Amino acid sequence: MALLTLENVSVAYDNQYILQNFNLNIEKGQLISLLGPSGCGKTTTLRLIAGFLEAKDGKFLFDGKDYTRVPVNRRNFGFVFQSYALFPHLSVFDNVAFGLRLRKVNETEVKKRVMDILDVVSLNGFEKRHPKELSGGQRQRVAIARALVIQPDLLLFDEPLSNLDANLRINMRVEIRRIQQELGITTVYVSHDQEECFSISDQVAIMNKGVIEQLDDPATIFKYPKTEFIARFIGFTNFITFAERTNQNGEISLRVGDHAFLAANHPGTANPSGKKCALRPDDLMVTTEETQDQAMNRLRGSVKVSTFLGRSYQYVVETDLGDFTVNQEMETPYRSGQKVNLLFPKDKMVLVD
Amino acid sequence: MQEKNRGLALFTLLVFLFLLGPLIIISFTSFEPGTVLKFPPEGFSWRWYENIFKVEMFMTTFKTSMFVSLIGNLLALILGIPAAYALSRFQFKGKAALNAIFISPVLIPGIVMGFAMLKYVIVVYDLPIYAGLLVGHTVVMLPFIIRVVASSLSNFDFAVEEAALSLGAGRLGTFFKVVLPNIRSGIIAAILIAFLESFNNVDISVFMTGPGVSTLPIQMLTYVENNFDPTIAAISVLLMIVTAILMFIIERLMGLSAFTKR
Amino acid sequence: MKKKGLYLLLLPGVLFLTLFMIIPIVMTIASTFFHEGSFTVEGYLKFLTDPYFIKILLTTLQVSLVTTIVCILLGFPAAYYISKLGARKKGILLALAIFPLLTSSVVRSFSWMIILGKKGLLNSSLISIGLIEKPLEILYTPTAMMIGLIHLFLPLIIITLVGVMENIDPDLIKAAESLGASKFTAFRKVIVPLSVPGLIIGSILVFVGSLTAYTTPALLGGKQRVISTFLYQNAITLNDWYMASVIATIMIVITFVVIFLMNKLATKLNPKG
Repeated sequence: MALLTLENVSVAYDNQYILQNFNLNIEKGQLISLLGPSGCGKTTTLRLIAGFLEAKDGKFLFDGKDYTRVPVNRRNFGFVFQSYALFPHLSVFDNVAFGLRLRKVNETEVKKRVMDILDVVSLNGFEKRHPKELSGGQRQRVAIARALVIQPDLLLFDEPLSNLDANLRINMRVEIRRIQQELGITTVYVSHDQEECFSISDQVAIMNKGVIEQLDDPATIFKYPKTEFIARFIGFTNFITFAERTNQNGEISLRVGDHAFLAANHPGTANPSGKKCALRPDDLMVTTEETQDQAMNRLRGSVKVSTFLGRSYQYVVETDLGDFTVNQEMETPYRSGQKVNLLFPKDKMVLVD
Repeated sequence: MQEKNRGLALFTLLVFLFLLGPLIIISFTSFEPGTVLKFPPEGFSWRWYENIFKVEMFMTTFKTSMFVSLIGNLLALILGIPAAYALSRFQFKGKAALNAIFISPVLIPGIVMGFAMLKYVIVVYDLPIYAGLLVGHTVVMLPFIIRVVASSLSNFDFAVEEAALSLGAGRLGTFFKVVLPNIRSGIIAAILIAFLESFNNVDISVFMTGPGVSTLPIQMLTYVENNFDPTIAAISVLLMIVTAILMFIIERLMGLSAFTKR
Repeated sequence: MKKKGLYLLLLPGVLFLTLFMIIPIVMTIASTFFHEGSFTVEGYLKFLTDPYFIKILLTTLQVSLVTTIVCILLGFPAAYYISKLGARKKGILLALAIFPLLTSSVVRSFSWMIILGKKGLLNSSLISIGLIEKPLEILYTPTAMMIGLIHLFLPLIIITLVGVMENIDPDLIKAAESLGASKFTAFRKVIVPLSVPGLIIGSILVFVGSLTAYTTPALLGGKQRVISTFLYQNAITLNDWYMASVIATIMIVITFVVIFLMNKLATKLNPKG
């Protein structure tokens, strides 16, 4: 049974729904990311779980108990804020001790637990400092320590790394994953940074307009997006919309106008209802030769723009079916205007909704 | 440009001479040993400073002024801090209208407010003059308290409040443990600014005088009408010293913007 | 946050202001239309047809207008100078401008009595250097009132203008100069229009402030009445609360009309649209 269940939850501001009939299950010990563009409802979902927001309808079950009306201060969830939200008037020690003291833990025990947790986040020796005397990364560690020390039943992160610079961001996310796995604590992590979510999560839920479009492990999402939105979000830039789809000799036959394409019938790529095909720029090929390779679909076109990317060249190729973007490593690039053949590998054709 | 800057500097100097000159002159005249105000004074004496403490009305009205400004301040804080918090923290319908209501005491001419209060608070509601004075000064202070506290709250990250809630603190506990300590300097600045506004108030107080009840500024007005000795100059110097000290504290707490944001 | 909690925070303040400010003000205004039991505009007719009343109103408006104009003329260049200074000097000058603002208006008006009186500093100096033989009658005239009011409100306009001017990007002046404008043209075409919002706010504060000031006219104006001292005289000396209420209403109306018109003007003149 799932540790956390959101059941047909709706959240609305001024009669405008942010979430409607929203469902989510999270297993114990997992780190699940909510990923999506701003306004997709990921932060709302997180704040709802934390208890900062109340659902209009629906149910929130946690560990088998109904938490829907349990106020935030009775939930025992740890929350790590985007702005860190450290108490500016308190030292690092007192910041971390805040939750313990509210729980009437005796001072000897408070001291021990605070020092232990500062050890976990590698901040020994900083306990007397005030937040304004710390760097961004250190503040982040204090915020994590403060949330962890109360031994929360659930740990929640709201864009925790977005105020850090790029290098620190990578270090901190490794750190967060390490701590989460060490303590085996169930975690919900919200971010708009794809790489961040994919690198640390057991499961990623990609949200769009208040709905989870796909919830899978990172590798599955990366290879097998289910919808056009997901595909675009994770870097598929080329799309072909087909008019007809039929099964043919174990492959899928697709048609639009005079063009016929074949796609592999793989359970990952062949979304049963999809008539749209998504392809990454790296998976397409450009050639001036006439190949007869059976693994390829072909489309004629001409090079519109050619740009140098460092390791490869990027071409925008104009065809009857629109423009396609292709990345290809080669010695001498094609010129603009040159007639070329675009090759679409059958097994890279991902069918999406 | 150099030329023009020098002209502008001289002009500014003259403007400040105009602003501060009279206050400097009044300070000198307070040490006049004779019975008539003169500048420059004909000698040096503390005589008129001593006189302040001999005129009983100055002492009683000073006490009234202090009482009204301090207790009124407390009332204004009790009414104003929750309102400032609600107005800064939450979005809700009618917020703009409420803001306008809380700021309106500075928009309505003071002398009109004083008269309306005399008419209703003293006569219709039948409150004693002392209570009327207190109420009037509370109304005068309220917008200053709300403005300064709200401006202090605008620099406060309310996620900090949510952090306290998520760690198990209640709403009220969060306010006293986390919000209040972080806007403490704003609140002190608000108290001092409101105190100055109330202590110097004439427009309301001038209507709220009765047998044995009056404030220091009103007593000074009455005294000037009948006397032209340097006692008022001596009081002025003391008031200016207090003003300068309070202003310095406020500047330390919130910077000069506490005065310039209106 | 539940609705209930929100009301609990706001209600005490709103109730207090309603009881002790809004009701008194609204009732005072309403009372001017009911005299001896029936609806009337008699008070307003009396006010608008009595040359004495009209003269007081005109004097008040005139004094306020001159005060505002002089404050702008003195305050604008000074504010521009201050806004160009480094942080430390700017802070000191601003503090020196704020200090008189926080000082009791009784103290400030009294200081002008010492200067402008018959045997005051001004007359004695002018006589001693032989410029005049008989002392000038300045104290207890509209001129004395104006000087007192300018002294009272000049800091306000300086502070407001410095606030606006220090936010004007100094590169704008350089840009104007690079396009061929002289220093003065650049000032006129860039700084002046961009200062308009501050100028309007400052002017509202000064004009409305002068219009309704009590202490300064009471001390420096002598027998010359302005509308605020006239209100006081009717209410306390003459005990004519009906006329006092009419005057109070007229003051409120003028105040709000001025604020409304100046705000309109501000939107119209705001260079940022």
